[in-house]
Amino acid sequence: MSIGLWETSAHLRSFPRAIAHVDGDAFFASCETALHPELRGRVVITGKERGIVSSLSYEAKARGVRRGMVLHEVRKICPDAVILSSDYETYSLFSKRMFAIMRRFTSQVEEYGIDEGFADLTGMQGPLHMSYEDIARTMKRTIDTELGFTVSVGLAPTKSLAKIASKWQKPNGFTSVPGRAIKDYLGALDVSKIWGVGPNTAKYMYSLGIHTAHDFISKPFEYVAAKFNKPHQEMWHELNGKSVWPIVAEEKTTYASISKTKTFTPPSNDPEYVVAQLTRNLENACIKARRHGLVARKLVVYLRTQQFEHAVMEAKITRASNFPHDLLPHMRTLCAKIFKRGTHYRATGIVLADLQSDTAIQSSLFEPAIQMEKFQRVYAAVDALDEQFGKHTVHLGGSQKTFTHTQHASDRTKNLFVGENAGQHLNIPKLVVVV
Amino acid sequence: MTQILFEQRKKELVKYYRRFHRLPSYDELADLYGVESKGSLHKYVEKFVEEGLVCKTDGGRLIPTTKLYGLRVLGTVQAGFPTAAEEELVDTLSLDQFLIKHPEASYMLTVSGDSMIEAGIMPGDMVIVERGRAPKPGEIVVAEVDHDWTMKYYLRRGDEVILRPANKKYPDIRPRQELNVAGVVTSVIRKYK
Repeated sequence: MSIGLWETSAHLRSFPRAIAHVDGDAFFASCETALHPELRGRVVITGKERGIVSSLSYEAKARGVRRGMVLHEVRKICPDAVILSSDYETYSLFSKRMFAIMRRFTSQVEEYGIDEGFADLTGMQGPLHMSYEDIARTMKRTIDTELGFTVSVGLAPTKSLAKIASKWQKPNGFTSVPGRAIKDYLGALDVSKIWGVGPNTAKYMYSLGIHTAHDFISKPFEYVAAKFNKPHQEMWHELNGKSVWPIVAEEKTTYASISKTKTFTPPSNDPEYVVAQLTRNLENACIKARRHGLVARKLVVYLRTQQFEHAVMEAKITRASNFPHDLLPHMRTLCAKIFKRGTHYRATGIVLADLQSDTAIQSSLFEPAIQMEKFQRVYAAVDALDEQFGKHTVHLGGSQKTFTHTQHASDRTKNLFVGENAGQHLNIPKLVVVV
Repeated sequence: MTQILFEQRKKELVKYYRRFHRLPSYDELADLYGVESKGSLHKYVEKFVEEGLVCKTDGGRLIPTTKLYGLRVLGTVQAGFPTAAEEELVDTLSLDQFLIKHPEASYMLTVSGDSMIEAGIMPGDMVIVERGRAPKPGEIVVAEVDHDWTMKYYLRRGDEVILRPANKKYPDIRPRQELNVAGVVTSVIRKYK
């Protein structure tokens, strides 16, 4: 055995670092149940607007429903299922609350996904007068009571192990994996269950005779260095209890790409409507890019048919931009190339890729700089108006059709408080009970 | 330095000041603007000084001016001439903070019934409900009693829990099998238009 920090003193080295991974249990479905208590104990499914299961309650899981399942299949096996349209606004509010509660215990919190995150508790026993296990348990209990549904928490010396720990017992689980106990947990764990091991890597590992996570960490590092590339070498350290993946506590502002997709019901074969949807995706993606001060040098257009087939095409942009005005002609050209007449489409998407900071835009030689300055001023005004009156207050004429068409609306949009409008709601989740 | 970038960075400076009640150091400013070199910050700082938002001490440290407190965060329009009164406003509560003490545990609910009408809670009112704490006698709770939801005063007589309406038309409720208190009502909001 070449590594074993904790082997010197089993007790002392239980948590050279203490990382908690918090993972919401059936997060979207649980948010719905927390606000609609009459749904408790029932088969709850979200994703109605997409036609497939996006999140499902544990009751649904017990009945054989799986993520990604087509909804009419669900209705076949569970005629009593409650199928809801996704309400991402509400899910985001719950997500923010979950992270806010985690931050009561440490400032080092990484928002890894909408329903999961890491908290670095290292060094907090003293200030909080609690052991790491007590801190993590208290964190879990606080989230459970204030959110009104449960999360599963894993505590371990590294992110990779914490992630395994939170999955160990789910839902409503708490699993602590101190350094000395790592081997007990990894012995029976198939390598495909490790965070960061995809189907291909798993196959490769099997071919090397590595079947369990324990097989993997038992290999000497020299072997791993020779057979695997850097991410998996890091993973080896992580699984051996040596933390090498840092907690990224800052809000994510650097993106490799920004993508905006939207499913619409009913599917449409009207080219104008499909282009309108794409235009709105483009506007959304550009809003996000501008917010983070990024410009794109590559544009990807994506269409999905009613039969779940995909058509994708991309183009390089001569002058990087985050203004729909600049990107729209490219988008139209790409769309025209992949759009097939008579085909019904159910989703469109835009990806802005090859992003760079907007402070370093190179204007092309033949383009008047004044034009760009003009766009900058126009979009600064658009962004200011949107901030005050709601997203898409000012939008391109090209996306108008997506606003007039009846769109999937969540419950939250249908029941407004006095003074709310379709675009802007109070930032507090709304309980739905009759009292 | 474009005008837009300058305005954006000015806004970030104001936001920082609102949040931490102090100005950032040069290092923090570089972080805030995501720039590598502190040298490039110089021209911004000079312009902030020029606009009277900050002053430099003899040692070169930045200190805020009253104009900085008075600056609105939204938009780029300055809200009138700053007065000494604005300094007093730095530590005021927003209506949000005033109505909601524990933001992560608070939920909104529209009232439909009239059982709390004598407590001043009318049908159509919005109430803020705080989850995850035990109610004290006399507080108004939202609770599930024997599979029905209700909003009532929470009272105790010895070991017994009584849920009392604020409307003579309705009787007290004594939970028979199950009582599940979802939360405590902390505020009522009525908006007329």
